[in-house]
Amino acid sequence: MTSAIATGRPVRPGAARPPVLEVSDLRAYYQTRYFGIEREVRAVDDVSLRVAPNEIYGLAGESSCGKTTLIKAIAGVIRPPLNIVGGTVRFRFEGATLSVYESDPGALAAIRWRHLSYIMQASMGVLNPVRRVRSSFIDFAYRHIARPMPAFWEIVVGHLERLHLQPEVLDAYPHELSGGMRQRVTIALATVCRPEFIIADEPTTALDVVVQKGVLAMIREVQRELGSSLLFVTHDLAVHANLTDRLGIMYAGRLVEEGPTADVFREPQHPYTRHLIASLPRIGDTAPKKGLGGAPPNLADPPPGCRFHPRCPLAMAVCREQNPPLVAIGPDRRVACFAVTPETAS
Amino acid sequence: MSSYGAYVGKRLAQFVLVIFIGINIAFFVTHLTPIDPIEESISVATSFGSTSPEAIEMLRQSLRELYGLEGTLWDQYLTFWQRVLVADFGPSLSAFPAPVSTLIWNALPWTVGLLLVATLIAWVLGNLLGGLAGYYRDSRLLRLAGVITMGFHPIPYYIVAFVLLIVFGYLWPILPITGGYRMNTARGLNLEFILSVLQHAILPALSLVLVGIGGWFMGMRALVSNIVTEDYVTYAEYGGVDRNRILTSYVMRNALAPQVTGLAMSLGAIFNGAIITEQVFGYPGIGKLLIDAVHAGDYSLVLGVTTVSIVAVSVAVLLIDLLYPLIDPRVTVT
Amino acid sequence: MLTILRDLLRYNREFAAGTALMAFVLIISCLSFLSPYSPQDIYLVPPDVPPSWAYPLGTTSRGQDTFWILTFAIRNTLLFGFTVAIISRILSLIIGLLSGYLGGAVDRVLMSINDTFIVIPLFPILVLFYFVMRDSMTWALLALVMACLGWAYDARLIRSITMSLRTREFTESGIFSGMTTRQIVTQEHLPYVLPIMFSTTMNNMNWSIGLEVTLSVLGFTNINTPTIGVMIYWANQHTALVAGIWWWIFFPVALVVITFIGLFLLAVSMNEYIDPRSRLSRMGGAPS
Repeated sequence: MTSAIATGRPVRPGAARPPVLEVSDLRAYYQTRYFGIEREVRAVDDVSLRVAPNEIYGLAGESSCGKTTLIKAIAGVIRPPLNIVGGTVRFRFEGATLSVYESDPGALAAIRWRHLSYIMQASMGVLNPVRRVRSSFIDFAYRHIARPMPAFWEIVVGHLERLHLQPEVLDAYPHELSGGMRQRVTIALATVCRPEFIIADEPTTALDVVVQKGVLAMIREVQRELGSSLLFVTHDLAVHANLTDRLGIMYAGRLVEEGPTADVFREPQHPYTRHLIASLPRIGDTAPKKGLGGAPPNLADPPPGCRFHPRCPLAMAVCREQNPPLVAIGPDRRVACFAVTPETAS
Repeated sequence: MSSYGAYVGKRLAQFVLVIFIGINIAFFVTHLTPIDPIEESISVATSFGSTSPEAIEMLRQSLRELYGLEGTLWDQYLTFWQRVLVADFGPSLSAFPAPVSTLIWNALPWTVGLLLVATLIAWVLGNLLGGLAGYYRDSRLLRLAGVITMGFHPIPYYIVAFVLLIVFGYLWPILPITGGYRMNTARGLNLEFILSVLQHAILPALSLVLVGIGGWFMGMRALVSNIVTEDYVTYAEYGGVDRNRILTSYVMRNALAPQVTGLAMSLGAIFNGAIITEQVFGYPGIGKLLIDAVHAGDYSLVLGVTTVSIVAVSVAVLLIDLLYPLIDPRVTVT
Repeated sequence: MLTILRDLLRYNREFAAGTALMAFVLIISCLSFLSPYSPQDIYLVPPDVPPSWAYPLGTTSRGQDTFWILTFAIRNTLLFGFTVAIISRILSLIIGLLSGYLGGAVDRVLMSINDTFIVIPLFPILVLFYFVMRDSMTWALLALVMACLGWAYDARLIRSITMSLRTREFTESGIFSGMTTRQIVTQEHLPYVLPIMFSTTMNNMNWSIGLEVTLSVLGFTNINTPTIGVMIYWANQHTALVAGIWWWIFFPVALVVITFIGLFLLAVSMNEYIDPRSRLSRMGGAPS
């Protein structure tokens, strides 16, 4: 059986240092009150994770599992009706710690783009449609590269050329570039200040496979050159297998499994992960795939206990009552399942 | 740049269509009704004294020729279009023998000036306030501004002008309520004249602005509320771009394009409002000219003003359309 | 649709206010059926009497009771506005639906014509119309002409709704599941279209009543039928303001302004309900 999984990824230098990102017990809910009806959608419920320097952390899960909300919460771009109900998000840049929800907006604005940047999905309009690309570079990067204009442009052009982009893209309007080109320009924009932490939210979805490959290669190259950490979010497991060092699986607003990517692929512990891995196509395997019955739960009214239990083949009585905590089952391995860790049930 | 050429071509074609349909409507309204404008004019002209039957018959004949009502309907149609294309509407009955074109030419600058100033103020102010209101949703000051501007908006121009007339004409007479400038002031580029013009324009412009501003406010606020959720605004927030810069360069700038389109579409309605307001304040523009012409039974003047109105508004719309690609660079690609 | 109205009434302040205002106006207009005087008669009561117990809103210089004339005036004005709105709804529906469903060349031609009517200034044309019709101008004719000129703005709106409904997923799934066209239109499309028809009707009424008042004040309509505009016209003819008969002007103006604001509030609140994003922003966050 051959698979797309790489084995034995070398440990990157810096992986043992204190984490660049530390999320603790984060809770982010959408709270609405309209026509007399109050609703609370628990999009991110009690999530904790760590990302080390120079590490690519992948976040996987199906649509509406809360990945995008988690990203917004980590980046601190929250707007009502989305509210942070509990927990902390801490970054560590150049020896100093910054807690996103306990700092003033000025401190937060200072780290944006210089230390923390963001690559969004390759949608039509991530760049200002009525301005040329060069003005986006000025808006996002100029205040961090405190040099006179000619020197600034030299740096930008040099950066573009290193990423195999023509300097002419600077003079184009966003709608004049193709989707793949726009995404590459966005990646260049996100990395021009050499940030320590980059969040990438489905950067290759909505691109065709050939372009996808080029964009992934670009991301890999940039990460290698800058030594930044990457939080890479996508539902596409094949991309995770190709790119990430560690992998976290999200389901219904909770983190259900986490570990080195190769380990998670080789030995998935959580029933949900097992199903995801089993459904991946393998060359030479002609057995029919079975879908998982049911649908992801309604996060406004989630099932009691473990949120996966209505669809879980291993569901037990305790799963209907208590929520399994995310516990360590190895040096860098966590699972939230009573079937794997029955001793955690009280 | 040939795509811009194609765009210009389309806009020009629309422009020609508007004028064609509009002026045809004017023709059919006047020529296909059972009422004979000649008899109308005669009845008004002879209402001040007795006139001999021969004189009336001569008048009838002259009017028939003047109004281009000789011959079959098709002949009349051709005559009509011939005259429109050279802007010859004949002499005005109420100000005989002054040609209609001269009267319109004298009155048009007043209307254009009033319209330009009032529309610009309403559009700029309305968009500014509306944009801020859409961005800073919690500001009580902006919400109050919204209530005030939107309170005036549904009220027709006539009523607002009328109320202003009452307030500043009778209750608190500090502003002039008739005329375009003070009588006996020498016209020309001297300070006294200019000040007088400005002073007389305040009330008409104010009523136009009060009614108009609410529409722009509402539209801009809605636009901005939507744009704020767009990807490029969210991205700029992730990027820590300065909030003022986001407001101007990302939000307002993108909301501008639809508002410019909206301006082109509303010019007809604003023009309506302007000529009504002129009537209330006796402002010497083509609105006053039109109403007075109706009361005087001056057929050629009424027709002339209607035709010129249609052409003027169409030209203004065309100009705005041609400037639009400067604001939205995406339009030439389609 | 009824549940929408009920919910809006309960939770949307603007809608409730608009309904209250319009209810007030409608009640006054219905009182016209109880009037002891005929609207066409003049010099029935002592003229120029200020508001008092006997005549709560005073009397006019033409010897009419302001209050009872006002009831007729607002009734006729509302009727006129409503008639224009109905006729122009039909026109804009037909054109909007044709354009939206057929698309292609039909759409382009119809929209070019549509935009023509948006751009052309309508007031001079209406004035021209009055000029040639003079005394033969009836209310029905005026309503018809205004409806034929005023459909353009809403036709465009309906066209874009139609286009988006045509391609929406639930339409296609409806077709695939074997629903007839009539079923699709009534069960799937109507819930979207009805609120929009409601708000455009309110807007159109504002427009047509505004135009009626303006034309009547200038004396360009049939001045023997009492409407709000005609009332103000006669007040001006008798130089009511200069003579100090302020109640002849104040009450019709006040009542019609209430009408405008009421219709406007209804239209705006319905619009806000339709647009899901404005609904979202209304939903604020609960304090955490």
